[in-house]
Amino acid sequence: MHILIIEDEPKTGDYLQRGLRESGFTVSLARNGRDGLHLATEEEVDLVVLDVMLPGMSGWDVLAQLRAREATAQLPVLFLTARDEVQDRVKGLELGADDYLVKPFAFVELVARIRTLLRRAPARDDALLCIGDMEIDVIARKVRRQGLPVVLTAQEFNLLHLLARREGQVLSRSLIASQVWDMNFDSDTNVIDAAIRRLRRKLDDPFPQKLIHTRRGMGYVCEVSA
Amino acid sequence: MRGSLTLRVSLAFVLIVGLSAAGLGWYLYRDFVGEIVRRDDIALRGKLRQVQQQLASPDAQSLVRDHPQYFRDTMSGQENSLVRVAAPDGQVLLDINAPGERYPLPPAAAVEQGALLAWTSRAGAPGQVVSSMARLGGRQPVQVTVARVYADRTAMFARYRQRIVLACALAAGLAGLLAALLLVRGLRPLRAIAAHAALVRPGRLDSQIDSADAPSELRPLILALNAMLVRLHDGYTRLSGFSADLAHEFRTPVNNLLGQSQVALAQRRSPDEYEQILASNVEEMERLSRMIDSMLFLARASQEDVVPVRTTLALEDELGRMAAFYEGMAEERAVTLRCEGGASLQADAQLLRRALANLLSNAIAHARTGSVVTLAAGERDGWTELAVTNAGAPIAAHDLPHLFERFYRADTARTAGAGSTGLGLAIVGAIMALHGGRAEVRQAPGAITFVLLFPSLQGASSHALHQG
Repeated sequence: MHILIIEDEPKTGDYLQRGLRESGFTVSLARNGRDGLHLATEEEVDLVVLDVMLPGMSGWDVLAQLRAREATAQLPVLFLTARDEVQDRVKGLELGADDYLVKPFAFVELVARIRTLLRRAPARDDALLCIGDMEIDVIARKVRRQGLPVVLTAQEFNLLHLLARREGQVLSRSLIASQVWDMNFDSDTNVIDAAIRRLRRKLDDPFPQKLIHTRRGMGYVCEVSA
Repeated sequence: MRGSLTLRVSLAFVLIVGLSAAGLGWYLYRDFVGEIVRRDDIALRGKLRQVQQQLASPDAQSLVRDHPQYFRDTMSGQENSLVRVAAPDGQVLLDINAPGERYPLPPAAAVEQGALLAWTSRAGAPGQVVSSMARLGGRQPVQVTVARVYADRTAMFARYRQRIVLACALAAGLAGLLAALLLVRGLRPLRAIAAHAALVRPGRLDSQIDSADAPSELRPLILALNAMLVRLHDGYTRLSGFSADLAHEFRTPVNNLLGQSQVALAQRRSPDEYEQILASNVEEMERLSRMIDSMLFLARASQEDVVPVRTTLALEDELGRMAAFYEGMAEERAVTLRCEGGASLQADAQLLRRALANLLSNAIAHARTGSVVTLAAGERDGWTELAVTNAGAPIAAHDLPHLFERFYRADTARTAGAGSTGLGLAIVGAIMALHGGRAEVRQAPGAITFVLLFPSLQGASSHALHQG
């Protein structure tokens, strides 16, 4: 998947390029609006990450141009803004953007949203999830590891289910808080950490194969290998 | 339109005074005219009687026959009356009519009643004629007719009319002018207010408009403007306080980041060490990020830029959700969470959860190990109350009133830890203000309770009933 980043701030552009490349995407970087438009039309791009504060041609103008040209009218655009006023967000969405992120944002958050826009973030809806030696019966809400039952509270199960059905994807704490408990604000990070610790105590500690991993500075992921 | 109020009022004055004066003038004119006419008619009748008496003298008969000019001189008089004396058969015995006017002879009915008849002279002036029977020399019955022309009178009336019109116009004009002058003077306080308003600037919001010399009608306006200035000043002070506080609070975390990174770079470190330092930096920066978000939220909330999306919430569910969320954290501190009571509430779900999360987070952090933290919901005195209670060290009395201030940290050992922004309780306060409620802290021996008070749904629903 080819992602085009249009960002004038050098450090931001660089780390976004590096991070997305390491996440498995092909990345092009344009440092101003005109170059960005040029690249968007010349190359086969699957998604554009657009900063709205650009010198010369503003991000809004780039967005409008992308939507005006037939070749790029359907191109998914995620815009980055430092202003979280409602009118700025609404403006972007009305101009045709598909999603947005307010700076500063967690990099994992960006990857997750890109994956969603590209329909590359499958959440497995299976009734039975098998990861490593773990079996999750979603309907019965029962978990087994190596055939032995693991007793979890309702909250612990919900948490595990979220991580498991997004196997291999690093989920940020705020995403976990939002998805599992419907807390849509930046809550105390310790709460999520404590919940994960509790889950680990019951799920991972008694078994040699660890399934819940911490990615320092990013979040948590459920997968077989570390 | 410049001076439009003055112009409008002055024109109104001109109109009012003009109309009043015209009305008065018309009334006086008609009265005057009527009076003059009445007197002239009386005089005419008097003349008629005089002529009758003159004719009644014994030698009148012979005088009429032999010396008619005697009567001409005496009867006509200053008023140039036209006199006609005729015998019943029509023979004219005496006709004093120097200008040669043709005037009508009153018919028999008028003669009997002694009524006056109006006629017009050759020159177009109005006249009156009256007729009556008399006895010439006391014996011979004759018909006496006396007529007059009132030329002077007409001219006099015309002059009088002109003067009245002129007087009205002058009065109206003068009134308008005076009104304009008075208004210009009277509106001077408004110009003073405008001059004062021109001086108001962000740094100079604390000056008030002087109301001592202002007319009483303008006083409410001045009071309202002064109150507005006070609110603006307060708001401005709060806002500039925000930026100052934020900048100040940033110093420590930024210093940590700087120092940590600089120390790390001073020597070769192992990859693991670098990873640790980077991760620690990320934590610190996440904290700064949360601080920024919190401050922006507080700023917007105080500007009433945040509109709560109210839905009906069942508090048992919300408390349960909170307790479930904090399960892990509570367990690690060996604290038990307990939910009690229930009620219905109209509030913004996410804002409510944020407020409760802040309270619960504090409660668990400061609870004595092994104790119980209670979440209780109930109705009291028209308020729906949500109370979070924990057992722990008491808060000093002098700290209690400041707890909900931004970045306030009590100086006991209650340092909230590395993850704290210092804004938790300030946000709770702001969220409660947005809902028309408030937050309180109540202290009992060994236990501290933070209470969220929402306006009760019963009050709200009865209000809605009235409106619907």
